[in-house]
Amino acid sequence: MIVSPGAFVRGGLLLLLAVILQLSALSGLSILGGQLDVVVLAVAALAYYAGSVSGSTAGFAAGFLLDLLSGGTMGASSLVLTAVGYGVGRFRELRDPSHGLLPLAVAALATACWVTAYAAVSFMLDVGASVSALVLRDMILTVLLNVVVALPVFAGARKLLRPVLAVDPYDVHRRHRAPREAGPLGLRGLEV
Amino acid sequence: MYDRKVIRRRRVALAVFVALSIAILTAYFGESGGGFFHALQRGAQETFAPIESTASRALKPLRDFFGWAGDTIDAKDENKELRKEVERLRSELARTQTAARDAGQLRGLVGLHDEEGFPQGTRPVAARVIARSPSVWYSKIKVDKGSGDGVRVNQPVIASGSDPEDGPVGGLAGKITSVSGGTAEVTLITDASIGVGAQVMPAGAAGVVRPEVGDPRDLLLDFVEGGRRVTENTTVVTSGFKTDEGDSLFPRGIPIGRVTQVDLDEVEIYQRVHIRPFADLKKLDIVQVLTRRPTGAQTAGVITP
Repeated sequence: MIVSPGAFVRGGLLLLLAVILQLSALSGLSILGGQLDVVVLAVAALAYYAGSVSGSTAGFAAGFLLDLLSGGTMGASSLVLTAVGYGVGRFRELRDPSHGLLPLAVAALATACWVTAYAAVSFMLDVGASVSALVLRDMILTVLLNVVVALPVFAGARKLLRPVLAVDPYDVHRRHRAPREAGPLGLRGLEV
Repeated sequence: MYDRKVIRRRRVALAVFVALSIAILTAYFGESGGGFFHALQRGAQETFAPIESTASRALKPLRDFFGWAGDTIDAKDENKELRKEVERLRSELARTQTAARDAGQLRGLVGLHDEEGFPQGTRPVAARVIARSPSVWYSKIKVDKGSGDGVRVNQPVIASGSDPEDGPVGGLAGKITSVSGGTAEVTLITDASIGVGAQVMPAGAAGVVRPEVGDPRDLLLDFVEGGRRVTENTTVVTSGFKTDEGDSLFPRGIPIGRVTQVDLDEVEIYQRVHIRPFADLKKLDIVQVLTRRPTGAQTAGVITP
């Protein structure tokens, strides 16, 4: 991501929207007994398009905001989301992904890591009560629901962030297209 | 692929944010309720309350739509169960009518020992839920009434729900844990940090109601002495027993839920009683805060595990 005031504004807007939407609407919305979690999707999308440094920054900021506004334990969400953002960003840097359906796998993995790691942190910190097996079901449903909405969320994030992205994975895909095999004789085999 | 500067910058960013998160986590746990991070939370919640309130109202049709879709799916199973329930209630009605006639004759004898019902003079304040905690590990909601409406920390919060036995009912939902000028944070009874002193009616067996994390329709009544047998379908209310601290107290007699299952282990000293809460904690839209303590009433202690 190109470091500029515009990048901060666009990234911040994306995360703020995700947190407000999560707290005001989605947390009270039960779909087949599970809940959507767009905050982790927003962090994953930002890291996927902008890389590990922006991903970890976005993870920390989103987690901080989430804890601040939800009344949860300060620092817990930011710790886990920092790791999630960094992980997704590193994946993008190492693999240079460009397949259109890859956000589905990224969303599933990022959400699974988020719900599992957050549960582990919460459990280690201050949950003294017994835990129902339904927690596991909720986690799996959250992963599945996030996969369902991953493509539109990633597309929306890409549209918002595109003006400030240093490299867009899908543009890389276009650059790597096979050389033309047709056309005027002198141009065959050349990238034009 | 990357020069050393980029690699160093990446690692430094990760290390700084992880260290910052751990530092915040440590400071948050170390400070009191009036500390910097708690105050920051309250300030931020107050600042964002109008935005959250607007968003919550604007997105209510969306929530209602998904709620309707979910309810439709559940309705088929529920219909089958309700038919069985109707059959059972018909036979129970005949027994109840006979019992009511008997009770009418006995009422004069037990008039001296009339139980106190729901606490009176509590000045309930209705509040709309504007935000919910996104995690099952922290069951908290935010409501649009604050200190300006008479809401104070530790005041009990009640909400409506339904009960297979009694139909629409209300019951204890939680307590106020943080208040700002126009909003308040409610920690629900399904939060892992809450324990409520409670009593099974009419047997009187006392214990502590604690949540089973992840299942808001199941609470546990712990520390009930094995000698006092608890039966299914009895009602559990706040007990009114005072704690040593003398604060953070619920009035006596607020209904909590109905006993659904009793685990009685011969070896255990205590019984483990499962309760289905009267308040529907998954679908909270409107709650009531009991802003005045009833005069002369006992209060139930809140135990922090």
